Amino acid sequence: MYALADCNNFFASCERVFRPDLNGKPVIVLSNNDGCAVARSNEAKALGIKMGDPYFKIRDIIERNHVAVFSSNFALYGDMSRRVQEVLRSFAPAVEQYSIDESFLDLTGMEHVDFAAFAREVSRACWKYTSIPVSVGVAPTKTLAKIASKLCKQYPKLQGGCYMYRPQDIEKVLRKFPAKDVWGIGHRSVKKLETMGVKTAWDYTQLPETTVRKLFALPGFRTWKELKGISCVEFEDMVEPKQSICVSRSFAHEITTLPELSEQVATFAMSAVAKLRKQGSLAQEITVFAMTNRFKDDAPQTSGGVCVPFPDATADHRTVVLAAVEGCRRLFRPGFGYKKAGVVFTRIVQAADHTRSLFEDQVAAGKEARLSETLDTITRTFGPGAVLFGAQGDGTIRNAREHQSPHYTTLWSDIPGVKVE
Amino acid sequence: MEPHPITDTYSLEFAFMGEVKAGFPSPAEDVREKLDLVKLLVRHSASTFFFRVDGVSMVDADMDEGDILIVDRAVEPYNDCKAVCFIDGEYTVKRVEIHEDGALLLPCNEHNPKYKPIPVGPDNQFLIWGVVTWVIKKA
Repeated sequence: MYALADCNNFFASCERVFRPDLNGKPVIVLSNNDGCAVARSNEAKALGIKMGDPYFKIRDIIERNHVAVFSSNFALYGDMSRRVQEVLRSFAPAVEQYSIDESFLDLTGMEHVDFAAFAREVSRACWKYTSIPVSVGVAPTKTLAKIASKLCKQYPKLQGGCYMYRPQDIEKVLRKFPAKDVWGIGHRSVKKLETMGVKTAWDYTQLPETTVRKLFALPGFRTWKELKGISCVEFEDMVEPKQSICVSRSFAHEITTLPELSEQVATFAMSAVAKLRKQGSLAQEITVFAMTNRFKDDAPQTSGGVCVPFPDATADHRTVVLAAVEGCRRLFRPGFGYKKAGVVFTRIVQAADHTRSLFEDQVAAGKEARLSETLDTITRTFGPGAVLFGAQGDGTIRNAREHQSPHYTTLWSDIPGVKVE
Repeated sequence: MEPHPITDTYSLEFAFMGEVKAGFPSPAEDVREKLDLVKLLVRHSASTFFFRVDGVSMVDADMDEGDILIVDRAVEPYNDCKAVCFIDGEYTVKRVEIHEDGALLLPCNEHNPKYKPIPVGPDNQFLIWGVVTWVIKKA
């Protein structure tokens, strides 16, 4: 048996943790750069605000209905996600985090448990400990557990927990569940399914095995079996350190000069180093890439990447930033408007497994290591961007974050205040 | 007894780290125990949050401006607990007397006559956000 714990409207719910006054009121969270809506409370959904709606298009609805608007605050969301994870881990021996707001629990060996009560209890505990509402679906396969968790959102009387296991119950649910909303059915398959007259998840399970295998290949066949209650999506409890780390972003306006592009790339390199250090890895090379706006047919187009190897595997800020800037210099071509750029670390090794080169200058390496550790400490204390390398510029093209809430749980200077009177 | 020169051992280890993989085993290797303040103050890391006391300054008070409150949402509110409450749009820290039909909020700094008990009724937007388990004060 598997459970899926899905945080309801996660980013919007995080914004409510320290703002109980917003309970029952419409809340939305905007993407990086305050571009579009990426999370909506139920009240905001009811106003007709859609996922991905551009901010400028919904300003009217926002003002008329006093919708609370927040810029993304990933420090807060990351910390709240960690808290929910910890609660989940106290309920099951194996937990697989699927995304920032969804986790699978492997309930093998817990068959003596009353799963309906269990699902409600997990949801209740998450709410009590973290004040994040969580929908918990329990079913024989991961795909069905995901459907069960969606039912919790539709039916409040389930109190956040839904246990779906009897074949006749599963059939009833699948007959009403749109095939396109099933986990693992991609948007390409949706078109095929439409032409075949497959509307619901149940219709999909009724297709013959050979048809499914032929038209939807192995992933589609796995989904088909999972919907029939045969578990075949593996459980990934152990999160392997990432084998490549990428930080990239689209720019608000096109970048046409090398200094401007270098500043951006240096900043991406800094974030990538932070990710690399967090998982205790070293990288052997960095690739810098940049591209023009491919939707602009009339403008000259270019895209490409340059790989810069390091003298030795490293997670040192200065080495990486210098390499990134060098890569950028080799990549940049005047006369183009760059719309997107990024950096990727490849050939990643674990720091613990790595043998240092015989020729490495130990004294210099010690200094670099100390500088990098100091940077880590400053960033932890004062937040990202507190110290910048010269190559990053003065941060003038910083992202728009007009409505960001405080980093309530990750910076001492931002913890909430309370009156004593 | 002489204190063990830990720093020397470390720099020795560091100098040999690299090409020579072995290095000397540190005699302090097995003595890694120390008092961990976080373990004492934070019983549930999932449900523990920090607040800072705003706006009062009183001599001999339980809570002063700038004190840090450790709040654990896992602790079930009990009668006469100190808790961070949210009442009508504002955070306040109170001693909570729990009654069958509501609650009475008593000032935490009870010696200040300025602060009166507040009865909580159905007309208030009220919730107990979390129970205060520790107060950190600068001496």
